[in-house]
Parts: sequence; structure tokens; C-alpha cells
Amino acid sequence: MIPTKNLKHDTAGMIVAAVLILIGVAAWWDTTTMGDPDSYVFPRAVITTMVAFCLMLIVFNLIRPVAKEENGGDTGSSPRRIFLVAVMLVGAGVMPLLGFIISGLMVFAALTWTAMYDSWTRSRLTVYPISGVAIVVGFYLLFSELLLVPLPTGMFFD
Amino acid sequence: MLGVDNILVALSPFNVFLALVGVIAGTVIGSLPGLTATMAVAVLVPLTFTMEPSSALIMMGAIYTGAIYGGAYAAILLNTPGTPSAIATTFDGFPMAKRGDGDLAVTLACLASVVGGLVGAIFLLALSPPLAEVALAFGPVEYFWLAMFGLTLVSALSDGNLLKGLIGACLGLLLACVGIAEISADVRFTFGSQTLLGGVETVSALIGLYCVPVLIDLVATPDRHLKVTHQPRGFRLMEALAISWKSKFNLIRSSVIGTLVGILPGAGGSIAGLVAYSQARRASHRTEHFGTGEPEGIQATESANNATVGGGFIPTLVLGIPGTPPDAVILGALLIQGVQTGSNLFTSTDSIAFTFIVGLFLATLLMLPTGLVIGRYAYKTIITVPKAMLVPTVAFMTMIGTYAIRNNISDVIIMILLGVVGWVLNRFGFSPSPIVLGLILGRIAEQGFVQAWTIGDATDDLLGMFFGRPISLVILALIAFALFYPLMRKRIDIGRSKVDTD
Repeated sequence: MIPTKNLKHDTAGMIVAAVLILIGVAAWWDTTTMGDPDSYVFPRAVITTMVAFCLMLIVFNLIRPVAKEENGGDTGSSPRRIFLVAVMLVGAGVMPLLGFIISGLMVFAALTWTAMYDSWTRSRLTVYPISGVAIVVGFYLLFSELLLVPLPTGMFFD
Repeated sequence: MLGVDNILVALSPFNVFLALVGVIAGTVIGSLPGLTATMAVAVLVPLTFTMEPSSALIMMGAIYTGAIYGGAYAAILLNTPGTPSAIATTFDGFPMAKRGDGDLAVTLACLASVVGGLVGAIFLLALSPPLAEVALAFGPVEYFWLAMFGLTLVSALSDGNLLKGLIGACLGLLLACVGIAEISADVRFTFGSQTLLGGVETVSALIGLYCVPVLIDLVATPDRHLKVTHQPRGFRLMEALAISWKSKFNLIRSSVIGTLVGILPGAGGSIAGLVAYSQARRASHRTEHFGTGEPEGIQATESANNATVGGGFIPTLVLGIPGTPPDAVILGALLIQGVQTGSNLFTSTDSIAFTFIVGLFLATLLMLPTGLVIGRYAYKTIITVPKAMLVPTVAFMTMIGTYAIRNNISDVIIMILLGVVGWVLNRFGFSPSPIVLGLILGRIAEQGFVQAWTIGDATDDLLGMFFGRPISLVILALIAFALFYPLMRKRIDIGRSKVDTD
């Protein structure tokens, strides 16, 4: 039998369910702008089902708390996580402007620095930048020349 | 009928060389996240225009076979399906790699892919004309029920919380609706954003939901990406062969599922892999180990997705209807070559169809040595590259791979944002797999549902349309079985344990 003191409300799960209900409401409102029933019949069926499941999740959690497993907490570095996402988003955002190679090199350099946990020795300071340039330029050539993908050139290489 | 001439032509040194080059090129392209088998065939197809039709077909078949298998590397080593066909490979492949068995997982995937490829080719050789008729019997409503059947897999992918899995699947279905509606061309759920106008591209969503969370966690700690054992263990081929022999029924069943799903136009390797995975999970005595690094899960997916190669060629060659997206590219190349598809391709001895099928067998067999060698190299690379190089390289690959799908920067932004959403949801107990399942099946389900509804409404027989067709009823029975089998099994187990204690 599960000890009563270990039973907890899954607050995070309920918050996600509540957010999804709001998304469902916004999506339903969007379907009211559609003229063709073919466009909204299926999404409305999905929204209704999703909102029903979300309500069930919230109600079940309130009336019947679940036994939560201890996952040992989060020991990772949140700033590095946030920085990784920010670098990728900024890299993608400036790609049309700066071109693929320059934005790619910027992303590569920033993420190398973010993921670096060892000390910067002379050999690493030499090898890592050279490897980064080789990887970015190599992929650029593979995609643009061999696979004929029109990668953005940006304002510097027009 | 298959003649000696077909075998001799297929095994000419030039064709063997083409098959080898095709398998290697396909495997390498397929292993890069974002580059699908369709893209691998499409970018390399111009190389075949100057060749004899039979040689061209052999090379395209080899590229296709290699690309489907290549998707397993990234799935196992990076938790990113290299191709959509390898989605279910991530479920057990990545946990195996995390615990230090990545080399074994890659070898198991290679063996399973070879078995699946061979079974698909046998069906293509022996049963093409009758099986092609099955594809014609599938109408919109059957596709709708097939998608619903696929959704029953949610229970297997929900990590112990079915309600959260169902919510995730609904979210995936809703994401599949974003953009311009395929049937009515209405703009849906973009809320005025140009970025969302093109919809959520399936492959970029896969990369985002599976790979970006791995990167987010990878960068947060100094721990190694995969557990490394210091003793060199080679390919672990004998171990993999022993495991494969033990689950031979799983391999055969999954290969047959893959072939049959491959025959259905538009279904493809991702659905074949997911359906085979769910069936393997249900049939296994180790159900509870699925999702935690169970070899049977990898074997089911990889044999099924490679079996779709042979299966997909059945309607392509007999009916001129491509079974899978890469088949559509190959069909186009065939028409340029002046080859007329049709059942007569399988009746004359001088037909290139048989030469091609022998070539497909050859390419599949060549996949064993090349796949093992490339897989070993990929594994060694991933475990030896320092984190400060691995993170930017993988992040960069996800960005360029996603961009290359539609040459659209919006896809890259959506991919990254979906990755963040997937990471957050995963921390709150919402697994990304049901979302992906909904996203993949959403378009098939909606299209089938709306078309069937329209036909049923026009003929004034909605109930008959959805519940009165023989194939629909068979699929409905399978859905009912899939839903209630766990309950039935539980009761049987309880009954057995009662008998044992008595």
C-alpha cells in the first residue's frame, strides 16, 4: 500500500492541462473564422477531446492525488540551457541577414563555449576552432554544392 | 518469371558497384537528421538519368534501402530519428546507447534492417500483382481507421500516464492542423503569423521534439553523452545474431507488417515502424522493458521500416501508384527512362522488374557489411568526440537539416521552439512520443475522415461508410483487440497465478 504522506497533487501536470485548455479555447475561437466545414470539423473534434482529457486530468488530480516519485532534483546548469536555446534562435534569426556560413560559425563558437567544461589548453584552443570552421564549411559545401540546397548567402556574399 | 538472365545482369560488376555506392550514399545521407530517404533518392536521382534503366533502378533501390537504415544511427546515438521511419528506434535504441550498449543496438538495427529488406523483396518478387489489388481496396475511410489504429500506440508510449499520453496525442493532432488545410485551403491556427503559414513540418518537429531536449540536457552537465565501456568489443555481431535468432518471430512479423503498410500508398516507413513496434510490445513477454532499452523494440522498427522498401515498390511497379514518398521520386525517374509500369512488368522474362528485384536483394545484403562498418564508425565518433564539439556539431546539423527540408528558416525556428516545448512538457510527465504520433497520423486521419464524411454524406449512408466496409471492420476489430488486449492479458495472468497458488 502506498503511504498517504507520499501522495501529492501533480501541480505541474495540472498547470500544463490548464494551459492546454486555454490553447484549446483560442484554437476553437480561430475555427469560428473558417467558412468551410471541412476545415473545422476535425480540429473541433480534436479540441473537444483534448479539453475533455485536460479537465479529467485536473479533476482526477484534485480528488485523487498520485504517488510522486522522487527524481533526485535538477542538478544541471539552467543558464547554459537557456543560452543554448537563445544561441540557436538568434543564429536562425540572423541567418537570412548574415548568411549561412557567418551565422553558422557564430552558433558553433557560442555553443562550443557553452558546452565547454574542461580547461582551455593550447591544443584545444587550436583544434576546436579549426574543427568548427571545417565542420561549418564542410556542411555548407555538402548541402549547397552536392545536394543543391539554396542556403542563405546573406548581405556579405551577394 | 525470374530468369537466369535477370540474375546475371543484376550481378554484373557495374551493377554491384552501383548497388554498393548507392547503399553507402543512402546510409550516410539517411543518418543526417533532416535528410530523409525521399531527399536522398531525389538528390541522387539525376545521376541515374544517363544509365540503363535496370542499373538506374538498382542504384535508386540501393540508395532508398541504405537511407532507411541510416536513419537508425542518429536515432540510437543521438535520440534523433535520422529519417521519420526511425522514430520508434529512438524508444529503445537511445536507452541502450545511454547504458553503454550503443554498439550492440547499431548491429541489431543492421541485422533487422537486412531481414526486413529481404522479406519485403521476397513479397515483391512473389506476390506483387495480387498484393497490389489490396492497395486499391483501401479508400479514405480505411486510411482514417488505419490512423486510429496507429493512435492506439499512445497507450504504449505514455510512460505510465495514459491521460497525459492522450492529451499529448491530441496536441499532436492539433499541431498537424496548423497552416493551410489540405482539402479546403483555409488558413488555420496561424493567428496571423507568417512563420506558421507553412504548418508544422513533420521532420522538423521530430528533430525538435527529440533532439533539442537532448542538447538542452547535454549542455547542462559535464557528464558524458553516452556511457562508455573501455574494453573494445568490436561489432558484437555474435551477440546480436543470438538475440536476433531468439526473436525471429518478432522479426518476421514486423517485416510482414512493414511490407503490408508499405503497399498502402502514402502510409510509409514511420507508420510501419510504429505499428510493428506496438505489435512487438503487445506480443512480447518483456512488455515492461519496452522503452527502457529492449532489443526487440529496435528489431521490430528497423525490420518493418526496411520492409516498406519492397512493399512500396509493389503498387509502384504494378499499378504506377507510389507506395511511399521515395517511390514517387523513383516512379518519376522510371517514366523519364521510358519504363511503363504495369502487371506486364512481372510476366515477361526480359522485364527489368526482375533485374531490379535481384538488385534489391543484392543491395540489402550489401547493407550488412557496409552498415556494420559505418555504424561502428558512427558509434566510435559519438563516444570519443568531446562534449564541447559534439553539442555545437549536433545543434548545427539539426539547423541545417531542418532548413534543407523546405529551404525555409521558419521551420528552423519552429523546430527549436518545439524542442523547448517538448523539454518542458517532458519534465512535467508529458512524453514527446504521443505528440509526434498525433502529428504524423493527424494529416492522414483528417484527410480520410473528411473525404469519407463527404462521400457518406453525399450517398446518405454515413454509418455504412464508416462501419460497413469489410476492410474497415477488420481494422476496427484490430483496434478493439489492441485496446482490450492488455486487460485480457492481465485477467489471464491473474487467473494463472490463482491456479498456481491453488
